[in-house]
Order: sequence, then structure tokens, then C-alpha cells
Amino acid sequence: MQWVQLVVLGLLLGGVYAMMASGLTLLFGVMRVVNLAHAAFILLAAYLTYTLFENVAMDPMISLVVTMPLMFGLGVVLYLILFPRLEASPRYVEMTVLLTFGLALIVEGMLTFVFTGIFRSVRPVYSSTAINLGEIFMPTSQFYASTISFGLLIVLWAVLRFTKTGTAIRATMQNRSAAQIVGVNVRRVSAISFGIGMALAGAAGSLLSFMFPFFPARHWQWVAILLALIVLGGMGSIKGAVIGALLLAIASAFVTDLFGPTWSPITFYLTLFLILMLKPEGLFGAKVRL
Amino acid sequence: MAVVERREDLLEEAPGRKPGSRSRRVTLILSLALVLLFPAIAYPVFDSYAYVLQIGMLILMWVAMSSSWNIIGGFAGYISLGHGLFYAIGGYSAGLALAHWGISPFLFLPLAGLAAMGVGFLAGLITLRTRGPAFIVATIAMLFLGLLTFDNWEFIGGTNGLDLPLFQFPIEFLKVPFYYAMALTAIGAVYLSYRVAHSKFGLGLRAISQDETKAEVAGINTRWYKVWAFALSAIFIGMAGAIYGYSLTHLRPLTFFAIAVAARMVLAAIIGGRGTVAGPVVGAILIIGVNEVAVRQMGESAINIVFTGLILVVTLLFFPEGIVGSLRKAGRLPAFLDWD
Repeated sequence: MQWVQLVVLGLLLGGVYAMMASGLTLLFGVMRVVNLAHAAFILLAAYLTYTLFENVAMDPMISLVVTMPLMFGLGVVLYLILFPRLEASPRYVEMTVLLTFGLALIVEGMLTFVFTGIFRSVRPVYSSTAINLGEIFMPTSQFYASTISFGLLIVLWAVLRFTKTGTAIRATMQNRSAAQIVGVNVRRVSAISFGIGMALAGAAGSLLSFMFPFFPARHWQWVAILLALIVLGGMGSIKGAVIGALLLAIASAFVTDLFGPTWSPITFYLTLFLILMLKPEGLFGAKVRL
Repeated sequence: MAVVERREDLLEEAPGRKPGSRSRRVTLILSLALVLLFPAIAYPVFDSYAYVLQIGMLILMWVAMSSSWNIIGGFAGYISLGHGLFYAIGGYSAGLALAHWGISPFLFLPLAGLAAMGVGFLAGLITLRTRGPAFIVATIAMLFLGLLTFDNWEFIGGTNGLDLPLFQFPIEFLKVPFYYAMALTAIGAVYLSYRVAHSKFGLGLRAISQDETKAEVAGINTRWYKVWAFALSAIFIGMAGAIYGYSLTHLRPLTFFAIAVAARMVLAAIIGGRGTVAGPVVGAILIIGVNEVAVRQMGESAINIVFTGLILVVTLLFFPEGIVGSLRKAGRLPAFLDWD
């Protein structure tokens, strides 16, 4: 039953990946921004969680209550300061990618300065235990993180589906100028979406902090993984991001089993490369003219 | 000084010579003289001779790198964050030639450039099937695939790296050959950039950067233009990698593949002015100069990365055309910097 075990491990990890990727794909869908700083912000939240855990012994899962609103606020502020300026630029997409590249460097540098480059991890009691279901075993930390991630994804889905703001966000994702014509305040929607994406990054950071050891330069590796996930699913499609995340996480569990852990990232990079070459619109993306 | 003569030929031929060509020529000769005579001038002036030459070499290296990057990233408007790959190809091909066959990297230099160009051509064939943000993402994937391969490749030392024998030379002047090799590379890179900017090929690249569909309608074979631009942009980056790697005597994949390497190329080109010939040169001198002063004053620290990011963000927001581009727009570009 080796493969069942691998699928379970892949699904647990995939749940967390799915939440990280959904924030990234939401931003692309609403604003056509590829946020290269997404993983850097995830890491920022992870370090915040680390600080809270070390100083006031706050459980990382509870610190979600702190990181999510903080990151939401940071996202709205960053959006309002940085992006409206670029909207008129004829090279908007390029400029925003470079801008988020700069943001990623700033966050990385500040984290290195404050926390140094050494590995950190948050170690609550459940970080070293496991749940056994018959022959299947699940690390407790991954089980918790995955459950919370799926919970947040359901909340995200409900917000987009049933609230007025959510409808406006979906409208903007489908057609920005048409949404504007029917009276959607596109700038407000974009600011809120950026906030939501960052809040999801905040949650992801809190959860990652007790799943993996981390150091500041790590985020490049993660952002490449996240990009692979959303490219596979189709950029701008949240459903696609979730399915892409689950598929790739399972695939990488198998690759790890067959070739060893050093080669597991290659699943993501190769997929990213191949999908971009063969089917750039991904599994569920509308054919976006990039 | 063959470069100078040829460039003057060009100016003679160019119809409708712009005013200020004399000051441009003077600048060119002065800066070439400065670059080539610097080791001789610096020797009696500075106590820390090796350090000064090292800085000179670094400035020249980044001039070469960002001028090369500018061919695809500036002229053609395809932002690549994966050019660290070509840096690594150059560094490792020369390093392996030295470690296994005893060929000096200085002699191997043209081959290192060719190797980088070959890889660039193949990588371009694949990655340039995408455009816009998808291209940027593809180049990042290319970089990470390269890093992963190099890290796990036993023959080239994997993550542990590859040790190179020391260059046998009087220790006091050890940096001099490295400096001159890098100077040749930088001059070559700027010359290539100049030639591209002043050719039909360069015109085609600019058309692509403005509107690819229209460029295609106008009869430009956009695919081959882009692939060639990508391949050409790899040559001098590979050569710079070969020289720099030799000067380190120890090659590690992360030295070449670090995202900070790509970041610096992009940053120098953007600050100076993307899509101009003089821009990357100005940008590289500025960036490395400021960086060295900062490191000297405050020590090597993570704040450097913060500043790199901050400068990039501020430039993009407030003067996206860079120094040269903004000055030109305002009609205040001094003639000696107008190389386009």
C-alpha cells in the first residue's frame, strides 16, 4: 500500500500548496500581475509567527489571527502606494513583474538582516508527532496545516461566490473593462484582491513555519514551485490552482520516493517549463493573450 | 585600438551625423584609454592595489553583463531573469577545461563565450515560445533547472564545487591579467551592443519590443530575431563567468545561479536606461560603485539586498526609462552619453 501512503502525503502537502497558490493566481486573475514577491511575503509571515512563538509562546495555528489581518492591511497599502502609478504604463505587465521582483529583494534583505540566514523553524508539540490510520501515517503538523488550508479555501470560495465584493472580484477577473462599465470600482476591487492574496500568504506563512525549516533566500524556490502550480492549473483560475497543486504535490511525492528528495523540485520546474511550452493556457485557464 | 578606428568609420558613413559626434569620440577615446591604462595609473596611487584592481574588474564585469542582458531585455523588451545560467556555463566550461585538460581559461575565453551562446540559442528556442509574464516565469524555471542539474552533477563537483589550480603569476600583480581579460570582455560587450543598436537587426528588435504583432506584419521574422538576440546576449556573460570563476579558484553552482546575479544585471540596465547603449554602462558603474562604498563603510550585509530592491522599485515608479532614457526625454542628455 505504498502508493496510498504517497498519495496521502501528497494530498496533505498539496492542500497547503493550494492555498499558497490560490492567492497568487487571484492576483494574476484580477490585476494581471505575476507577484514574484508572494513567497517572500509568505516567509515574512513565517518569521512573524516565529517571533510570536519564541517570545509569547503563541501557537502558530493561533497566530493566523494576527498574520492574516496584518498581511491584508499591508497588501492594501502596498497596492495603493505602488500599483496605480504603473497602470498607465504601456509596459504594465513587465513593470509589475520587475516591481514585485524588487519587493521580493527588499523583504528578503530585511529578513536576512533581522533574522540572519540560518535555518529557523517553529516547534510546537505537534511538530514531531504523527497520526496513524492503520498502515497510513500522517505527520500531525501537515494534517493540521492541510485542514486549515482547505478550510480557508472554502471560505475564499464562499466569499467570491456569495458576497457582493466577491462578485465584483469575479467580474473583474473575467473582463476588467466590462466590469468597469457596469459600475465596478476596479481599483477598489484590485486593492481588496491584493489584500486577500496577501492574507492568504500570511496564513500560508504561519502554517509553513511549523512544517518546514526556513531561511530568507528560500522564497525563490517556493515562488518557482507556486508558479509551476498556477501555470499548470491555468493562470488566473483558482480551481486550476487547487487541482494543479494537488496533482503536482502527489507527483513530487512519487518522484521523491523513486529518485530521492534532491530531485523532487524538478517535478515542479519541469512541469512549469513543459506547460509553458506546450499548453501555456494550462488546464483550466482561459486563453489569455500574454 | 582597432575598435576605435572601426567606430569612426561608422560615424563617417552614418548619414546625417548628429551634432556632438566630436565630444562622443573624445569620450570614447578617453574612456578606452582610462580602462586600458588604469592598472598602470593605479599602481603608484593606491596602497591597496589588488583591491582597487578587483573593483575595476567587477565594474567591467557588470558593464559586460548588463550590456549583454540589454540586448534581449532592453532592445527586444523580453525580461529574462535566467541569465545566471550563461554565467554558469561560461564559468564551468572554462573551469572544467582547466581542471581536466589544463587549458588556461584566458585562452579558453572565446570557447566559453561560444558555449554560452550555444546554450543560449537552445534555451531561446524553447523559452521564446512564450511572451510577457510567461517568458519571465520560463526564464526563472530555466535558472532553477540549471541550478538543480549543476548541484547534482558529480562530474563537475555538485554542490561541493570544483577547485581550480591557482594562476601562477607574481602575487602583487595577480589581478592584472584578470583585469585585462575582463576589460576586453566589457569592450566587446559594449561594442556588440553598439553594433546591434545601429543595425537593421537592432531596429527589428526595437519594433518587437514596441508591438510584436505589427513587427511581424511588417515582415520581420520575429522568432529568429528574438532567438538570435537571446543567443548573442549570452556570449559575453559566459566570458565574464569564465574570468570571474578563475579569479575565485573555486566554482560553486550558487555563485553563478544566485538570483542576486540576475537581479544585478537587470538593475544596472534599468537604472542606466533599458534599450540604450550607454544606459547599462552608466548603471553598472553606479551600482557597483555605490555597492563597494556601502560594503567598505558598513561591511557586507543584507542591507545591500534591501537597497538593490529599493532602488529597483523607486526607479520603476519614478523614472522607468532610467538615467539615460529620462535625460533624453527631457532633452538634456549630454552628447557624450548619446551612443544610440
